[in-house]
Amino acid sequence: MDLAIRTWAIFWKDLLIELRTKQGLNAMVFFAALVLFLFSFAIGPDAALLRQLAGGLIWVGIAFTGTLSLGRTFQTEELAGGLQYLQLYPGEIRAIYLGKVLGNLTVLLAVEAVLFPAAGVLFQLDLWPHAPGLIGIAVLGSIGFSVIGTFYAALTVHLRARELMLPLLVFPALVPLLLAAVNATGALVLGDAMGRMAGWVRLLVAFDIIFFVVCTWIFPVVLED
Amino acid sequence: MTTSPADGHASSPSPAIRARDLSRRFGHRWALREVSLEVKLGETLALFGPNGAGKTTLLRVFATLLRPTLGDAEIFGHSVRRETAAIRARTGLLTATGFLYDDLTALENLRFASLMSGIRPQPAHLETSLARVGLSEAAGMRVRAFSTGMRRRLELARLLLRPLDLVLLDEPFISLDSDGVELVTRVLGKFREAGATVVLASHQHADAYKAADRIALLRNGRLEALETPAEARARLETLATSRR
Repeated sequence: MDLAIRTWAIFWKDLLIELRTKQGLNAMVFFAALVLFLFSFAIGPDAALLRQLAGGLIWVGIAFTGTLSLGRTFQTEELAGGLQYLQLYPGEIRAIYLGKVLGNLTVLLAVEAVLFPAAGVLFQLDLWPHAPGLIGIAVLGSIGFSVIGTFYAALTVHLRARELMLPLLVFPALVPLLLAAVNATGALVLGDAMGRMAGWVRLLVAFDIIFFVVCTWIFPVVLED
Repeated sequence: MTTSPADGHASSPSPAIRARDLSRRFGHRWALREVSLEVKLGETLALFGPNGAGKTTLLRVFATLLRPTLGDAEIFGHSVRRETAAIRARTGLLTATGFLYDDLTALENLRFASLMSGIRPQPAHLETSLARVGLSEAAGMRVRAFSTGMRRRLELARLLLRPLDLVLLDEPFISLDSDGVELVTRVLGKFREAGATVVLASHQHADAYKAADRIALLRNGRLEALETPAEARARLETLATSRR
């Protein structure tokens, strides 16, 4: 109960600050749209090729945009005086991690709510019939991204070159997740003649569960002096 | 008579704080060197010393924000190295830099602190805490618009949210007008009445002298003296006379 209340407190506080300042979300939505535009310009008007690559382009867009959100994960604490002071509250320290994961997940899903329809228009894809499946894959992929990304954001928070180090550390760790998300999205949108989608979705679920348990478990060590 | 630092060792059987050979290094620089002292339950200890003497580092070690490089300290019998959760549950820290969210209002900052402390935030309780530090009318203001003095008051209100056995204050009188200083002294009095142990680091000696039962003088990370305010005054007077 204590864990849930403290997790909620962190999430509520971050959401309130984001809604008031709107610094992160506006920039991220704009950046995501820009990435998709650049991809579509780079590939050209070949509709078949765009459709073929859509899954990959969408998830690369999500990964790039999500990294912006991860970099801001502990910014409110740093501006307030330092993440370390948050640890002084009595109770479960993992609540800090879980609250931040929830915050990153919410922001990422909000960006995806704009990014997927925009991708549908730019890549000439009719995504509407696949909406339930796409939402499922987006949620699973975003959970994994937020779980791993928040963990590495905490790990790099005190580094001087954290803007550089965070993507360098987080992208290799995200390879299995991105692989599964890209292939599952592609199979859903382009058709799944080989019946591989279930396997990719299972990989997403397994990735989420394993990394959620491991990162939550070892998070207190990351914050230690 | 001046008590030597070593005399702090064998006083009370169960002190609030017992530090033994506490040392902390930042890179190549030792911020604390073999500090040993005891603070009795309910006692108020003032830490004096020039900039870089190790006052804030010592407070941060007691608050479990920093782990000692060598030695250990026990807070209510719990090691600052291993039993941080037990210490944090009973300890409050007022920092010199502050830890407030600028884009939340004063009331929202207290609500957050309350939730994080495991206390159900009752609006009446939060408003009472603000009223006790004279911030009732600023309850709905964002902290971004607060003056430095108002921020200190809000931090004090946060300390008042839950019962504390150990209160650590880093420069509690800094940036405060005379009303503010009086307020801090009053709040300190309330903590003492409730039986809390208080450790404060301050440059404003006159205000800290009034509040302290004992004074610890730190220099270059070492504990140079541990004495009562009367002993400290007598020593300073002797020193001044000998220089004339």
